[in-house]
Amino acid sequence: MFEGLSQNLVFGILVGSLYGLAAMGLSMIFGVTKLLNVAHGELIMFGGYACFWAFSLLDIDPFLTIPLAMLALFLIGAVLYSLIFSRTIKLPDESKVKNSLLVAFGLSVILQNLALRFWTADERGVTPAYYQTSFTALEVRFPLVRLASFAVALIFLIALRLFLKNTYTGKAIRATVQNWEAASLMGIDIHKVYLLSFSIGAALAGVAGTLVVTNYSIQPAMGLGWTMKALIVMVLGGLGSIPGTFIGGLILGVTESATSFFINSNYREVAGLILFVLVLIFRPQGLFGTKES
Amino acid sequence: MSTKQIIYLALIAVILVGLALFPFMTQDDSTFNLVILVFLYMTLASSWNILGGYTGQTNLGHAAFFGAGSLATRLLWVGGFPAVPSILAGGVIAVALALAIGIPAFKLKGVYFAIGTLALALILNITIGNVFPEMSYNPAISDYQIVPRYYLFLGLTVITIAAAYFLVNSRWGLGMMAVREGEEAAESLGISALRHKLLALAASAFFAGLAGSAFAYYHVSYYLNMPFGPEWTFDPMMMAYIGGTGTVIGPIIGSIFFVGLKQLLVWNVGEYHLIIFGVLFILIVLFLPGGLVEAWKKYQRWFTRWYQRRNTSPRNVIGTGHLP
Amino acid sequence: MKARMSIFALVLMISLILASCATPPTAAPAPTKAPEPTQAPAVAQAPEATKAPEATPTQSFPPAPEYIEIGASIPLTGKFGSLGSQVKVGYDYAIADINAAGGVMVAEYGKKVPLRLTAYDDESDPTKAVNNLEKVFSEQEVVAYLGGAASGMHAATTAIAEKNKVPYLGVSFAWWNIHQRGYKYLFSPFPKSPDQARDVYKALNELIPEGERPVKVAVFQEKTDWGNELGGLFKADAKPAGYDIVYYAEYAPGTTDYSTLIQEAKKAEADALLGMPSTPDGMAIIKQMSELGWTPKFTMLVRGPDAATWGENLGAAGDTVTMFAGWHYGEKFPGIEEINARHQAEFGRPADILVGPAYSCVQALADAITRAGTLDRNAVRDALAATDMMTVIGPVSFNADGTGNVLNPLVQWQMGKMELVWPLDQATAKLIYPAPAFDER
Repeated sequence: MFEGLSQNLVFGILVGSLYGLAAMGLSMIFGVTKLLNVAHGELIMFGGYACFWAFSLLDIDPFLTIPLAMLALFLIGAVLYSLIFSRTIKLPDESKVKNSLLVAFGLSVILQNLALRFWTADERGVTPAYYQTSFTALEVRFPLVRLASFAVALIFLIALRLFLKNTYTGKAIRATVQNWEAASLMGIDIHKVYLLSFSIGAALAGVAGTLVVTNYSIQPAMGLGWTMKALIVMVLGGLGSIPGTFIGGLILGVTESATSFFINSNYREVAGLILFVLVLIFRPQGLFGTKES
Repeated sequence: MSTKQIIYLALIAVILVGLALFPFMTQDDSTFNLVILVFLYMTLASSWNILGGYTGQTNLGHAAFFGAGSLATRLLWVGGFPAVPSILAGGVIAVALALAIGIPAFKLKGVYFAIGTLALALILNITIGNVFPEMSYNPAISDYQIVPRYYLFLGLTVITIAAAYFLVNSRWGLGMMAVREGEEAAESLGISALRHKLLALAASAFFAGLAGSAFAYYHVSYYLNMPFGPEWTFDPMMMAYIGGTGTVIGPIIGSIFFVGLKQLLVWNVGEYHLIIFGVLFILIVLFLPGGLVEAWKKYQRWFTRWYQRRNTSPRNVIGTGHLP
Repeated sequence: MKARMSIFALVLMISLILASCATPPTAAPAPTKAPEPTQAPAVAQAPEATKAPEATPTQSFPPAPEYIEIGASIPLTGKFGSLGSQVKVGYDYAIADINAAGGVMVAEYGKKVPLRLTAYDDESDPTKAVNNLEKVFSEQEVVAYLGGAASGMHAATTAIAEKNKVPYLGVSFAWWNIHQRGYKYLFSPFPKSPDQARDVYKALNELIPEGERPVKVAVFQEKTDWGNELGGLFKADAKPAGYDIVYYAEYAPGTTDYSTLIQEAKKAEADALLGMPSTPDGMAIIKQMSELGWTPKFTMLVRGPDAATWGENLGAAGDTVTMFAGWHYGEKFPGIEEINARHQAEFGRPADILVGPAYSCVQALADAITRAGTLDRNAVRDALAATDMMTVIGPVSFNADGTGNVLNPLVQWQMGKMELVWPLDQATAKLIYPAPAFDER
């Protein structure tokens, strides 16, 4: 019983870190630009395909493809922002959310079908040679691939935080979040800030994609599911709080796995969603969000 | 009544009579199916518009009401209940669901409300899938008649649109719009935001539920959680936006346009149909922010100006090559 | 006045546009994209012109239609897209081959008539699939329907075939229950759940000597109606065959974490794992089994490992997993070599597993039309029911419920390739048993 439960919790945390990373990019984009990019799942998918290509064509280790996937998605993000999303950026917040939502719907349809043309509808996955390596501690198994994925998620969380805290650009981004009018008066080019934030968000989706294709599998119709997960984690953790988002992911992962352990694996997602709705009602700013008007 | 109103009424009457006589003009099931699909989406988009367009609450959980209505009706009807009470029960169940979730849901504002309702519909989708994993078959496929279903959908659509029209033109409708434009301002004028939002939600849910009931009566076989799927929220919402939210005619035009365009592309373009559809959709959202209704108004203004210019300087018509 | 004028102008414009859009399809004889028939007519007429007159010199026939119209709705996009695209390849190949030989002999017209398939994508949405079938029914007046892929889709579309009284041939679904609804027009040359449950134990008993058999069985059942059906049959058939279900668990499709199920099965000391996951779920299950260090001696997953990319995706972890695919390119029936050569040239690998069954649907249909001697749908249906022929999937005949009596080969992934391991007279390789532990591969 005990070792079963602890193994279960470990898996919950490892899976949850992936949820957290998947939501971090969305949270970054929404937090800074107030654009609700529901094509985030499709960006994750493209990250996955980038990794799949590099792995199967060039034989690069999946974890070493991360910079490649990041770069590709950073560029895709920049193009998407300049071509499409920048046209909705000047709207007032409320209609900005709605319009970006709609545009992103159209975009997700396009991206899905492009993926279908490029890579066919077949499921794709990546399995490195060391897939079966596991460490055992206290009767609990820690698979290497999942540990590495957890580490990647953690590294990007810390790196993003350091970037926002310590670099000039990061400070400019935070200033824009706090008050874009003042920021623009101080000489910050807020359009560049928006462009950069969107691209960073997309790049994070690229990282998440490499982990998804390594731990699970990808196919053109996968986007919506991951978008939903990311949305829920983002709100659960608290809008605008990057560490909160990550912890929100962990909480969701643990809730799901605990549900399949104690109740029934059929209801794992329902339990996560109910937790989410409860948090929303009693603490609408999210678990780690700060209250804003 | 002004001449303009008489013309509009006459036009509506002609369209209605034409639609009512439609089954005498064709025997073709595929045409019926397509028209029924348009009616279904008109009902869904119009009902979504009551809360989303007029009251300003972006509801991403509309599928929950559609699904609840279809579930109740299908279970009753397949269980042996007569069709009409089963269908009405679907609408009632949807309203009950709406009132049950309304008060907690309206504590949420803006994007929180949107994602909260989305989560709710997801919960129902998965739970219903767990509770009823079996395919639901139409009990009497051999004597399945499409024409009564056509009239059911026609009636439902007319009632929904008429109800939406009278609701938004009533005092309540004005209150709903006031809530959309600013809750605090509305409250300061003595308009209870919560009550207006609840009414809009209930009305929206009622017609979505009836749409679900009609769907349950229409569809030959499907999984009972299918109507709870997110596409039943997103597609009608996109149609409302394409047509123009906050107008009665917008969702109607949007549904015809959306379904028609999609089908035309499927039948004529082949494998790239969805890519082209996505591009067109984005272009509409970006460049016609008020939807097709807005575009129509712009066109009308442009036409008026062009017409006036043409009439004030008639020589230009021949001289300067204003030919099409 | 102005308002009305502007409406008039717009209506005029729209009707002009519509008219210009609408004319080509009605004027041109082949509006829809049916890729294969293009090569048909030229080849078709040549042998006919010489043969028909001399065979029947005095009798005069009614004018034959240009094509025998067949309709289909296939999921080419959406979650069943990978299955649907394999099925489409099978249909296209078969139609091209039949048309290259002049088409299908129809006695009523005294000549061969080529087949033409009008197939639309339904985006894996049953509602759209229904619409597509109604459309080809009213516009092409199809003689028969060919099915799409996946149980849930077939459950919706077979009802339309029944309503319209159009013969329906479909593969890529093992769900037996669809056949128990009294449908008369449904035919499926594909193994069904009862075959799969029976044959898994039968194959094990034939391939493995007593004492070494994996008699302790764990079942991971997907919580869907087909999963229920097959899981229940796995359970029911175990005892009589000498097997014991030591662990039985349900999970919702799309689950990302199977660690609980795997640990419980491991604790119950199961030797065999049976299941019916979708491909992504199946991949997740196998990966997590390797991570948790559980290697049952025998694993049989229906459906999931069907994906052509299974081996490539999972590498060594995907090896030794077995499945009932319905067909295998290594079978020794007439016509398979040609299909493989063509598939190899087009896709760089021998034919995928649904290509053969889909191909056989068209073979059975053509055969039935010839035997019926007419394009009347009821006559074709009756002829289909009396089918008894050799196809690329072996001998095919149909039972009263529309299920096919077909070969049900057990296929195993070995070194990233699918090998047929049972029945032995068709086998391309020996069953690898017991499966080596994941860390010894």
